[in-house]
Amino acid sequence: MCSILEDEIPLAKERISLDRKCMKCKEEPAILITRVNDAFCRGCFQVYVTHKFRAAIGKTKLVRDGEKVLVGISGGPSSCALLHLIQEGLSQRAHKKLRFKPGLLFIEEGQVVGQSLEERKVTLTRIHSLLRQSGFPYHLCKLADSLDLERVKTLSACQSNHAAVNKMNQSAMDINTAAVNKMNQSAKDINTSAGNKMNQSAMDMNTCINPVEGDKGEVEKSGHGENCCDLLEMNREAEKLFAAQLGSIKSISGKEDFVRALRHRLLLEFARQHGYSKVMLGNTGSQLAVRLLTDISTGRGMQAAMETAFADRRNTDMMFLRPLRDFSSKEIAMYNNLHRLECVFIPSLTTMGDVGASIEHLTEAFVTGLQAEYPSTVSNIMRTGEKLDSSSAVDIESHCALCQGPLDTDVGMSSALAALRFSLEISTMGKSNGKRCIKGDNSVNNTNDELCSNGVNYDAKVECCGESDGSCRSSTQLSVPDEGLVLQTLCYGCRIVAMEMDDVNSLPEFVMKDVAWRNRRSVMKAEIQDFLLDDR
Amino acid sequence: MPAICTVCSKGAILKRPKTGNALCKECFFHAFEEEIHHTIVHAELFKRNETIAIGASGGKDSTVLAYVLKLLNDRHDYGVNLVLLSVDEGITGYRDDSLETVKRNQEQYGLPLKIISYEELYGWTMDAIVKQIGLKNNCTFCGVFRRQALDRGALMLKVDKIATGHNADDIAETVIMNVLRGDIGRLRRCTAITTGTDGALPRCKPFKYTYEKEIVMYAYFKKLDYFSTECIYSPNAYRGFARAYIKDVEKIRPSAIIDIIHSGESLSVKKDIRLPVQGVCERCGYISSNAVCKACVMLEGLNKGLPRLGIGKTHKERRKMQEMLQQETGAADSTPCTDQSLKSSCKCENKTDQSECSSQTYDSDNASGCSTYSKSQKCKDGCSSTNPRTVAKEKLSIFGKLKQPPSIDF
Repeated sequence: MCSILEDEIPLAKERISLDRKCMKCKEEPAILITRVNDAFCRGCFQVYVTHKFRAAIGKTKLVRDGEKVLVGISGGPSSCALLHLIQEGLSQRAHKKLRFKPGLLFIEEGQVVGQSLEERKVTLTRIHSLLRQSGFPYHLCKLADSLDLERVKTLSACQSNHAAVNKMNQSAMDINTAAVNKMNQSAKDINTSAGNKMNQSAMDMNTCINPVEGDKGEVEKSGHGENCCDLLEMNREAEKLFAAQLGSIKSISGKEDFVRALRHRLLLEFARQHGYSKVMLGNTGSQLAVRLLTDISTGRGMQAAMETAFADRRNTDMMFLRPLRDFSSKEIAMYNNLHRLECVFIPSLTTMGDVGASIEHLTEAFVTGLQAEYPSTVSNIMRTGEKLDSSSAVDIESHCALCQGPLDTDVGMSSALAALRFSLEISTMGKSNGKRCIKGDNSVNNTNDELCSNGVNYDAKVECCGESDGSCRSSTQLSVPDEGLVLQTLCYGCRIVAMEMDDVNSLPEFVMKDVAWRNRRSVMKAEIQDFLLDDR
Repeated sequence: MPAICTVCSKGAILKRPKTGNALCKECFFHAFEEEIHHTIVHAELFKRNETIAIGASGGKDSTVLAYVLKLLNDRHDYGVNLVLLSVDEGITGYRDDSLETVKRNQEQYGLPLKIISYEELYGWTMDAIVKQIGLKNNCTFCGVFRRQALDRGALMLKVDKIATGHNADDIAETVIMNVLRGDIGRLRRCTAITTGTDGALPRCKPFKYTYEKEIVMYAYFKKLDYFSTECIYSPNAYRGFARAYIKDVEKIRPSAIIDIIHSGESLSVKKDIRLPVQGVCERCGYISSNAVCKACVMLEGLNKGLPRLGIGKTHKERRKMQEMLQQETGAADSTPCTDQSLKSSCKCENKTDQSECSSQTYDSDNASGCSTYSKSQKCKDGCSSTNPRTVAKEKLSIFGKLKQPPSIDF
């Protein structure tokens, strides 16, 4: 790849002249250059982008007609491009129309970087107007909600009510009337179901705009801005908890990993509880190349293939799609520029940080720098990612409790994991000074009865009461799970994050629940082990 | 603030890069040696009464490897015989210095030593190659040639395995480099601790989980002597990018190197991806995934003055070669080959003078005949003239002769 074939004299680079013709239609003057040296005119570029987008979705035949798809909008340039492409795809060209029902979700993450309430309100308002303009049903929630997944149910879909109203009123986009009528139809359906939902749920201040009787004639008044910001007022306890957990992770790389796992989980739960069957994300090819390298560098090699594939089948009931994976960030930026799309800038943990702030940031600088010199870097990395196997594990017990990726810790004694463990042991031999024991190894021979060398809390495993009628409550008395037990349910990459925290038990609730559940199951299995024919 | 060794609670003098623990000198030595012992035992690298050749370059990895293997062999009684094997690439100012170190090692550790050189095997030194090909892509030549050289040297010594000093940093770099280049076949194999079990001599990497910094630390505190300079031709290698990245990541999170190796081990490839299949080279009998192995291709290119034969895109190079051959032979195409002794095998079409055809250096029952030319190509130059290429062919014949012993059975 890097052996650029040099002839005796290197060819002089073609001078970029301003009156090149588009390489496709060869008639129009070219307005931009994409890939290495391909010049496109405006029309052809639009066709190119749209075609690639449609092909990515259509080729895999994964999205069926009428399917409800949740689109994750982060406010950044690729999300805006994705939104625009979906709008275009749903509206025009009736015979080739995209046929699915999108719903938008924005996850507010201002707390991660420590923004003040005012800043978060400003961002939220801008995003709100952006989502409103799209005309699709939309929802807002914040990252701290992932710690309290029960509440996610109450964020109802009554936004659609309002969205339908607005769509009729505004003319910000080119939408032909046929599409408008169609949307009305579907909006009506959503309206009735949403209305029912609203009657049942108690507190919906953050998402509901109009009260129940809201018919389509009412236009929203000025109170709208505050309504969306009520999101920030609610559930302060979850926010505090989140802040504490995030604060206990020492490195920025760990924090980023943690935030990503929570975000994924929130998207998953939200989609599940609101009846969506797929989730669509707007990651571009360049971002995914960085993602692949970062995953390899943080020990998540097994999930790397899933994160960069078009369809992420980590969870069997919910598929994550990435239709923009063949685009480079440059193409997306040019697309946004052509259509004058407005994006909202959301700062992240490494914004304005130095290059070595976190592993992801470093990898991004590395790939971008390499790409400048060797233009095929990103496509090479993506191609490697495609060839990797992203087969997911079969049963829920071989999933990581935090990131839902497959567990990759069932390795033999001759492996990096075993070597690292041995190194730790031998460097701290004989001293149980509270050093983290990572004996949590999922290899077949080591079951729960391998004691942690710190001897933490193992006698908390209470004996079963003996009655096998399901009334045994002894396992619920396991109040503080063994640290090794928790680590055993995490994949290699998540273990690194968890071990940075002061107390492994302060992981989010859904993780702890999963740990407890698995523990109960393994106790059950141990009881019936002799009678199980299958070795699973 | 004096730190305390986490194992024996005495005063600590260093901090382990791998785990971050503070250790005193003896505990560090103990930990280092025990980890390597652990690796060897669990990966079952050595068997009793095997002969192991240690690839010794005189650098830190191989010096420490020789020292530690000898130590562990005595301490834990592996029962293996150790020999040192060194390769001379012919890089002045770099290799000759490091060879002195290897010779010193031989005396210090009492291990037999064999030095094998590119000059003797292929007829080309790295300096000469770089003059031909320039400073880019020369690492490819050196790497391919060295692999064969190690194997041939090991065969001469009749060993069972080769042990190289690749450390954790090297393997992590290789993983990253293979991802960047899209080389899925190598990506699958590069994290294996023992490679080449089918076909050529198996080679193992006892230092697979050992950090480079710890090797240096060990050598420093044990006062082992080695030669540490970078190869003068290496700055333009692509691997340099991967290395810079690894060094930066290690600064952020020291365990990242083992994490990368773990990722590499957990990668699995889709079933329907076409992977290269191992076969045997037509010319020299070495293992190869193509009809002719890379070393033969590169050598031919070098000898013909087309050094990029092994590097660039095959069809372009072949076209160039055709053009070049056509230019040179002009009108003398029609003269038939007058070499009677090799009726069927030598396809030399252009020989006017029997005695100068180099195929005569071969025995008549040598099936491959003119080894310089593949069977489908016509031998058009060199047979009728005394151009310098004939000289090179002589050297090639030494290479060819080496394959004669039937003990090479791939």
